[in-house]
Amino acid sequence: MSLPESMSRIVIVGAKSHIDDAIQVIYDVGSIHLIDHTVGADEGFSLGTSRPYSPKASERLLKVRAMEKGLGITPKVKSNPIPEAEIKSQISSDSVETVEAEVNAVFDRRNDLNQRITELSATKRNLEILSRLPIDLEMYSGYRSIFSMVGTVADDPSTDLVNADVEVFSSFDKKEGNVIAVFARNEVRDKVQSILAEHGFSEIVVPEGITGSPSAALTAIAREEEAATSELDSIGKHIESLMVKYTDFLEASDEELSIEVEKGELPLRIANSEYTFVIDAWVPESKAGFVKNELETKVESVYVEVQETRGRSLDGVDDIEKRFREPPTKMNNGVVAKEFEYPTKLVSVPKYQEIDPSILIAIFFPLFFGFMVGDVGYAIPFIILGAYGLKVTHHKDWRAIATVFFFGGIWAFIFGFFFFGECLGMHFVGIPTDGVTHTWEQLLGLNHEAIAGFFSFLPEGHGVSKIGAEWIGFLMKLTVYIGVVHLALGYICAIYNKTIQHGFKHAFMEKGGWLLAFLGIVFMCYGLANYLIFWLESGLMTVDLVCIILGIVLIIVGTVLNRHEGAQAILELPGIIGNVLSYARLAAIGMSKAGMALAFNYIAIDMFGGYVWDATAGTGSFEGSIVGLVFCLIMIAFGHLMIWTLAIISAGLHGLRLQYVEFMAKFFDGGGIEFEPLAIKRKKTVSTNA
Amino acid sequence: MIENGIVDITPGLVAIGAGLAVGLAGIGSGMAEKDIGAAAVGAITEDMSLFGKALMFTVLPETIVIFGLVISILCIFVM
Repeated sequence: MSLPESMSRIVIVGAKSHIDDAIQVIYDVGSIHLIDHTVGADEGFSLGTSRPYSPKASERLLKVRAMEKGLGITPKVKSNPIPEAEIKSQISSDSVETVEAEVNAVFDRRNDLNQRITELSATKRNLEILSRLPIDLEMYSGYRSIFSMVGTVADDPSTDLVNADVEVFSSFDKKEGNVIAVFARNEVRDKVQSILAEHGFSEIVVPEGITGSPSAALTAIAREEEAATSELDSIGKHIESLMVKYTDFLEASDEELSIEVEKGELPLRIANSEYTFVIDAWVPESKAGFVKNELETKVESVYVEVQETRGRSLDGVDDIEKRFREPPTKMNNGVVAKEFEYPTKLVSVPKYQEIDPSILIAIFFPLFFGFMVGDVGYAIPFIILGAYGLKVTHHKDWRAIATVFFFGGIWAFIFGFFFFGECLGMHFVGIPTDGVTHTWEQLLGLNHEAIAGFFSFLPEGHGVSKIGAEWIGFLMKLTVYIGVVHLALGYICAIYNKTIQHGFKHAFMEKGGWLLAFLGIVFMCYGLANYLIFWLESGLMTVDLVCIILGIVLIIVGTVLNRHEGAQAILELPGIIGNVLSYARLAAIGMSKAGMALAFNYIAIDMFGGYVWDATAGTGSFEGSIVGLVFCLIMIAFGHLMIWTLAIISAGLHGLRLQYVEFMAKFFDGGGIEFEPLAIKRKKTVSTNA
Repeated sequence: MIENGIVDITPGLVAIGAGLAVGLAGIGSGMAEKDIGAAAVGAITEDMSLFGKALMFTVLPETIVIFGLVISILCIFVM
């Protein structure tokens, strides 16, 4: 069984004068999971302060990030890695500040231009309205005893304004709106304003500093706006060139500075006294000696002590100080099972004290996937795509999919070839007589005796004889038995988990009842099903009777053991039947895929291809027209591509679901802390130490 | 199937029963899944790490339709 890697707790003590060396080695070792220091946990110790170089690095990092944002550089933009030493020397010679000055100058100019353009277009809008009145711009202001108001109105106010002793200029237009300019004596300002307000007046600000007719001013403004826009365009191009020029530098310095900041802030997470620092950490047991040796030899005045190697028992765990209570989980899997850690993590990280289900998923998930696909024709593209994906991709999502394709594809091939005997929905052997189904032997005109002899290992005979009540009943039973085995394994895992946590007796009392109840249900249902379906007429067989009685006894014993769960112990019993029957989906989805393939093949071969089978001569031929044959090929390609795509979704999702819902729910708790060692991952820079 | 002028409708009734078993079970799981699906998508938008759990909840009711299918297969092939 695969448990997470055993963890040791170490304490690193050293002189503060050598903390930078210690931090460097800790990051180089790459297998130290830090335990954050809790304030007040140890007398005389407090949290440290960041290293002297850290604030400067943070400040620079902020500048770099701002520039990256402005220039549109995201982590996805490809860049050429820069050697670590080179980027370090560039940063220390104030390159960040130089680049910032250059980039910011361009940004400032762009902002100014944008603002200017906004202003100009506002002025332009006002002038367009004003140009409809025959008044020069300087005429609107500069009076001592009269005032002017100009703006748009909803309807004509002139009848109301007649008594107010005013002069009105107006232009009314249904499409472009109504403009009005009013000149009046200062004394009647309030009156005029209130009359205008009643007619929906909205004032327009007359641009200052412009004289002459509005239309002349409009041309000037338009020219200015055009100039600003073209300069903005050229600045946009300049920014693009800056982006190309500085992408490598900015990405590399971003990474380098992030590393510096992270290292510099490590003292904030550990205990410090006046002259010493103390680091509590978890390391994998296998690495403890190496870590101790490495730190003590490479760093002066540092001492490392291995405090304990944590067992899996949870007894007495509450007495442990909280920060040391839960060791991190480092999943311990081989090359293949490692690829299946992803689906486990999708649910949760396993706890330190429980089985990591990745290896079980690695066994059963591809198996189920392959069983549901079960067709040589679909298996081969899966294998090829999966192998290609595993070779080229490093993104974890794509890798997970490629893994399922590859291993699932291999199982699909095995099931397709040795069990179902099928390729693209057509069986290998047999001569069908129904006129709906086809076989490869029939289509390709192969020798019946020889090929039938070769495929004699297929269960339930071969070819068309498989499509029948017997075969489908067999498939249903088979899948249910697979379910029984899979679920029993789940219950056993549950007992195992509890055994390592609290001992076997506790485990049996807590989870053993479920295993017994499960077995009881299986026996009882086996007996009942046999009786109800097959021997209702012939009477109850002894075997079935024994099964039923044994089942009932086991259920009762199991439920009694489960009494600590209360009503759940009884309410969950029907759920077990549901869980077992749920595995019938393995057969159901396989059949639905075969059904779809059958339909597409019939449409393509019989309807478009016009295939005619001469039973007496034992030969067949395509009688369809050329167009029909072309459609036949298109239909085969399209139909099977569709089924293949659906296979990914249905077989993949349901295969995974059986792991998650039926299987893992039996024993998996999750909620562990993932092992995250302090380490540096360089992507945009190249380490010069190594 | 006509024998002595009497029509045997048993196969037809079995077929209707099988169809209803799958169809109604399908509607049932569809109704259950629509609410879960909507909620799951909402949750995933908030926090991508919930994807695994959300997926699990979404496909949970699909068992119902599998039961329907089992019954209909029993109807057609065993009865």
